[in-house]
Amino acid sequence: MNETELRVLVVDDERAIRRFLRTSLAAKGYVVFEATNGAEALESVVRDRPDVVILDLGLPDMDGTQVTARLREWSRLPIIILSVRDQEADKIAALDAGADDYLTKPFGVGELMARMRVILRRIAHPESEPVFSTQSLVVDLAHRLVRVRGEEVQLTPTEYDLLRALVTHAGKVLTHQQLLRQVWGMGYEGESHLLRVNISNLRQKIERNSARPEYIITEPGVGYRLRIEV
Amino acid sequence: MVYNSTMASFDNRPVLPEHGELHLGGTPKRAHRWRPYAYSVGLVAVTTLVGLPLRSFIDPTNLVMLYLLAVVLAALRLGRNPAVLVSLLGVLAFDLVFVPPYNTFAVADAQFVLTFIALLGVGVLISTLTAQAREQTRAAQVRTTQTRTLYELSRDLSMVLDPADAARTVMAHIERVFHGNATVLLATGGRLEPTLHNSGFVLDGDEMQAAAWVYEQGQPAGLGAEAWGAAKGIYLPLNSTQGVVGVLGLQPVSTVPNAREGSEAAVSAGRSATPTPEQWRLLEAFASLTAQALTRIALSREARQAQLLRESEKLQSALLSSISHDLRTPLASITGALSSLRDDAAYLDETARTLLVNTAWEQAVRLDELVGNLLDITRLEAGVRKVQPELCDVQDLVGVVFERLGRRLEGRDLVLEVPDSLPPVPMDLPLMAQALVNLLDNALKYSPADQPITIRAEATEAGLQLTVADRGPGIPEGDAARIFDKFYRAWRSAEVTGTGLGLPISKGIVEAHGGRIWAANQAGGGATFTIILPAAGAPDLPILEARA
Repeated sequence: MNETELRVLVVDDERAIRRFLRTSLAAKGYVVFEATNGAEALESVVRDRPDVVILDLGLPDMDGTQVTARLREWSRLPIIILSVRDQEADKIAALDAGADDYLTKPFGVGELMARMRVILRRIAHPESEPVFSTQSLVVDLAHRLVRVRGEEVQLTPTEYDLLRALVTHAGKVLTHQQLLRQVWGMGYEGESHLLRVNISNLRQKIERNSARPEYIITEPGVGYRLRIEV
Repeated sequence: MVYNSTMASFDNRPVLPEHGELHLGGTPKRAHRWRPYAYSVGLVAVTTLVGLPLRSFIDPTNLVMLYLLAVVLAALRLGRNPAVLVSLLGVLAFDLVFVPPYNTFAVADAQFVLTFIALLGVGVLISTLTAQAREQTRAAQVRTTQTRTLYELSRDLSMVLDPADAARTVMAHIERVFHGNATVLLATGGRLEPTLHNSGFVLDGDEMQAAAWVYEQGQPAGLGAEAWGAAKGIYLPLNSTQGVVGVLGLQPVSTVPNAREGSEAAVSAGRSATPTPEQWRLLEAFASLTAQALTRIALSREARQAQLLRESEKLQSALLSSISHDLRTPLASITGALSSLRDDAAYLDETARTLLVNTAWEQAVRLDELVGNLLDITRLEAGVRKVQPELCDVQDLVGVVFERLGRRLEGRDLVLEVPDSLPPVPMDLPLMAQALVNLLDNALKYSPADQPITIRAEATEAGLQLTVADRGPGIPEGDAARIFDKFYRAWRSAEVTGTGLGLPISKGIVEAHGGRIWAANQAGGGATFTIILPAAGAPDLPILEARA
């Protein structure tokens, strides 16, 4: 996928935000479409066929979570949520509804670009790749092997499942609920202590210093993400 | 007993008047009025029966003493009129039974006429005297009761600090003394508000109108008064030096189950329950005491309010000048830099342009930080942001804090003393991370870049203890508590920019977790900030609402 041909839909009711994103993204060679509310956004997705949507949480007609849910009914189009501080609950709801990532306002264009690159990389290299590697962490999904700094690490089945969930969505934030559902299955959504304990054990095994993790990053109040370099 | 069932009285227990109580409608119920006379008849009959076997040995003039005894007894126990009845009946019975010829009113010996007259006269006289003595005793009892009642009310009112409590106190006293339903309507903003009343108090439109009239006129009304005589209750104004501050209401206990259905009966019965002048006086005294108490409460409140207002005005103006300065300064740099870029782009070389853009960027970041902090502290203070504790690993907390500070930690010597073995602690991770970020931010700002910053976590008996220690200038003497005040900065310097909100936010967050935070100087120089978070299962954990 060629980045210069990428089509971005910016959904925000603030003219200043739209203008700044259009200017910055167009300068990078993106094709930018704009929508000021949820209804326009849904129309634009059908009409303009964007590759990625940048979606503000607070829209005049419906909230970002609803837009995400409506889009997810028929599309796997990447969605990056724009939120302001203290919208944690809404942010989590949007992520659970299927949004791919979030950015907290105010943000720099550099940050937005990095998030978009992560998502687009994941789309360009879907789960078909059997071996994942970032920095000195290597996860061989075909052989269930994990190597850190050249040494093989023994993980329990749960720890491995957790790491695999993070690796297959590398760079994307996964909410507590999403991780619990993927690793433990339905009905475990409230058992956040399972997640905490296993993340802690996993970090002990793969991180050099659990208090300054390099790979498994906590998104406070939201979930975890596996850091990748793009 | 049909009449009795619709009777309204301030007391549905039978009360004899001689008890000296103050019940409204305390005159005996009509159903019981014949009873003393029946006793009189009985007394005469008994006396006659006692005397009958003696009439053959004892002279009739001596037997008359028995009747005198009966008269005195009746006067003492039954009152004046029954005693007079005893005298009359006694004369007749004496004549019939003891004066020959027996069983006829005919009198053989004329001297007995004198006995009759004497018996009657003595009877009436004793009745009158005894009744007077009784009345005086009763009046004295009433006065004592009144004094005691008023004393008790005034004592209880003197301890009350709130108008609603004063109203409750007065109501309780009135209901106990008068056995009615009482209410106190307090005036707020020139309108009468039903503060609280006994559920038995009927406060419908008519009653409310009567009360409003009393409030406006400053005159009593209702039962037993000239105005609003048809009302179900008595209403007295609470007159104070500051005008009418409310209305006191009292309604007799209606034995009618549904006051609306039986309203006609209640009204007619209510008239019979009108208060006596004594009761009026006592009620007026109650009203006056209440008014005084309310005035005292209002005045002391006003004084306290005035003091609070003075203090909060001082604080507000300090906050306002601080906020406006802190908001304006970065804005001035941003608009200045941008105006230069917009208007003078032709004269600027690459270096100058970069410098201006960087200035605008840094100041915008600072502005964002300030606005964020202001929002955080406002949310904490308003209790909008609730603390949602979940068990968290301390290492995770520290990791989040480092992630947030990111590049700012580069090149700093950080000493991390966080053992792996620490138990998880319940906390709201985003909030606690913010609290710790603010402490570290402080340490980074105020200590030299080549000095280490220590972050220590230990499990103590009180809970998790987190310490951030720096080797900066430390905290000035006596400032250890004030540095947690909003916009207070111990060290103001040209290089260090801060919002003066970081520490108060940390304090608000920690306290919302039921924890403690304090600052001190460490031996060898520098400041330490310590947080104690209650451990899992700690009994005092946690206040789930964030209030700074």
